[in-house]
Amino acid sequence: MSQSGEKGKFPEAAGYVGFANLPNQVHRKSVKKGFEFTLMVVGESGLGKSTLINSLFLTDLYPERYIPGAAEKIERTVQIEASTVEIEERGVKLRLTVVDTPGYGDAINSQDCFKTIIQYIDNQFERYLHDESGLNRRHIVDNRVHCCFYFISPFGHGLKPLDVEFMKAIHSKVNIVPVIAKADTLTLKERDRLKRRILDEIAEHGIRIYQLPDADSDEDEEFKEQTRILKASIPFAVIGSNQLIEVKGKKIRGRLYPWGVVEVENPDHNDFLKLRTMLVTHMQDLQEVTQDLHYENFRSERLKRAGRAGEEDVMDKDQILLQKEAELRRMQEMISQMQAQMKMKGDE
Amino acid sequence: MRSASSLSSCRLGNEKEGSRLKREREVESDRDMSESIVPPEVRPKPAVPAKPPHVSAPSPTAPHGPSGLGGGVGVDRVPGSGHSGGGSTLLGYIGIDTIIEQMRKKTMKAGFDFNIMIVGHSGLGKSTLVNTLFKSQVSRWSSGWGGEHKIPKTVEIKAVSHVIEEGGVKMKLTVIDTPGFGDQINNENCWDPISKYINEQYEKFLKEEVNIARKKRIPDTRVHCCLYFISPTGHSLRKLDIEFMKHLSRVVNIIPVIAKSDTMTLDEKNEFKHRVRKELETYGIEYYPQNEFDDDMEDKNENDKIREAMPFAVVGSDKEYQVNGKRVLGRKTAWGVVEVENPNHCEFALLRDFLIRSHLQDLKEVTHNIHYETYRARRLNDNGGLHPISSNNTQESNL
Repeated sequence: MSQSGEKGKFPEAAGYVGFANLPNQVHRKSVKKGFEFTLMVVGESGLGKSTLINSLFLTDLYPERYIPGAAEKIERTVQIEASTVEIEERGVKLRLTVVDTPGYGDAINSQDCFKTIIQYIDNQFERYLHDESGLNRRHIVDNRVHCCFYFISPFGHGLKPLDVEFMKAIHSKVNIVPVIAKADTLTLKERDRLKRRILDEIAEHGIRIYQLPDADSDEDEEFKEQTRILKASIPFAVIGSNQLIEVKGKKIRGRLYPWGVVEVENPDHNDFLKLRTMLVTHMQDLQEVTQDLHYENFRSERLKRAGRAGEEDVMDKDQILLQKEAELRRMQEMISQMQAQMKMKGDE
Repeated sequence: MRSASSLSSCRLGNEKEGSRLKREREVESDRDMSESIVPPEVRPKPAVPAKPPHVSAPSPTAPHGPSGLGGGVGVDRVPGSGHSGGGSTLLGYIGIDTIIEQMRKKTMKAGFDFNIMIVGHSGLGKSTLVNTLFKSQVSRWSSGWGGEHKIPKTVEIKAVSHVIEEGGVKMKLTVIDTPGFGDQINNENCWDPISKYINEQYEKFLKEEVNIARKKRIPDTRVHCCLYFISPTGHSLRKLDIEFMKHLSRVVNIIPVIAKSDTMTLDEKNEFKHRVRKELETYGIEYYPQNEFDDDMEDKNENDKIREAMPFAVVGSDKEYQVNGKRVLGRKTAWGVVEVENPNHCEFALLRDFLIRSHLQDLKEVTHNIHYETYRARRLNDNGGLHPISSNNTQESNL
């Protein structure tokens, strides 16, 4: 029993307690429970958001897309559409919710278009807070937005004013991952320039995007290198495609142009694989940051606001007491004055 | 004295009130007068025709010059080619058709102006396209991507002029850029500064025209053509696009182009073009070449073909690369080189031929004869006449 704390490699060795097995148990339980993840995609229409989501998760989340003409767009305001899909891979179940925001940036005057989105995010936080504070906490459904892909147009010279305003408004509520859409429009040089410009503008405006955590020192070199590459490639310049094209005998996802074929999963062509890797390896971290940072921020704000309303009542009561005391004193003075007068009259 | 001679001036095509170019055809109805001379059909044009004329001794057909998408300009038919107008053949050569050559020489000496306005969100490749079109650095930015592309807070109008020369012909090209259009969060009425600018140019020209002592050649700063850049979303037009084109298609010639079209595959491109055309039709947006201004069947056919192919999906570039041993303008990516002048890759060549090689003069004419005249009529009616010009002592208006 003298080596009780030792993580023994040999289960049969004396002193092996066995709680090293704990991670496996957690792992098995969570695998059984399944994972939940909510991803929000925001960007102007026509940037390839739906195509990218379909490519990322190799599902057809939007089977029959009806693309409205400009006439219908005129009537529409920003809407929130959430679609859920259950994906299973090697026994691990993922319940993925994709929140789409059609109508964002379409209007001539886009000043109000992010109010709807911010309200949605706050509502999800509110609901979770309510559930958490409730009596029956067994089946809390976590619909909070864990990650927001913000699609930046490759046609500009950097961030547009709308991009900046929106990101500033939500960077304290959700993890922002900026993504450069339709990256096959850009040559390599243009892509690098655009990335640098976007990063400069993000720093200039003080926007807090999601930072990948550094690899722990005990991870292997390969993982560390991968993390380094991922961090250096933000914002990711991606291409999505729903079509399979035959290249060198293999069927791959890509886009066929008269001058060549763009392969979605080719790391030389775009950062799609990096985006997918990041999302998949950091899904847990994204959820943690949402819980620890954004949700806690929201919660403390909310509770403070509720508390401040209670405090004001208390202060009023004190004030009322003071007022009453002042009145009493005044009345007492008046009485003593009247008594003095009566005495004087009595003396005469 | 000619008997039974009838001079009828007939207007071909649609009748436009006010100011359509009158084409007068002097028809000799009585064919018995073999001695009489049937003058050839002459279209009086204020400037040089696009095609070089062929001055030849009486020959049945005059060969037509090089045509881009079919020349719509300056047809010179030597009589006897068998069309309905002139019946009898010319007995001797007079040399009336040398007037074309004379006009040409004069205009070459004088040179001519062309003002093109480019409108669209920032980053759609407007300046690059204009540089590619005119094969010179004519836009605001003398070098490619380098400088600070800060988005201005309001829409600004920046005009830059260059004189470019080709084949002895001098052209003063003015490129009017509109930075800040469509880039703000609130883009309401962002077309107002543009509309104001266009009307100001008409006003300037009107004031010059109305002077008692007129200049021989009024400097023409009117916007002849407005290239409107549509963002290649692949879905449909944006609200802002429609509003802009609705407001300005009655004031200036609008040519919509789909920018940065190397972002779409062939199928997506065709679908998008089709959808855009449908939407333009639904909203009654008459882009150039406008239906109503077609002169005759030949023009109409030619313009119909062009209208079917519009809006052109273009790619611009000022860099050259080696492809198959040739140097071509293009964009080099990891999966191939997009050739700008290759008709299989994009429609830049079509746009260039249409804009410069065949319809440049027509753009100026439509601006002068229709848009400007509309403005003028409105101005003269509105105030019951123009106010006398008091800014300059020596000039007085004639009203």
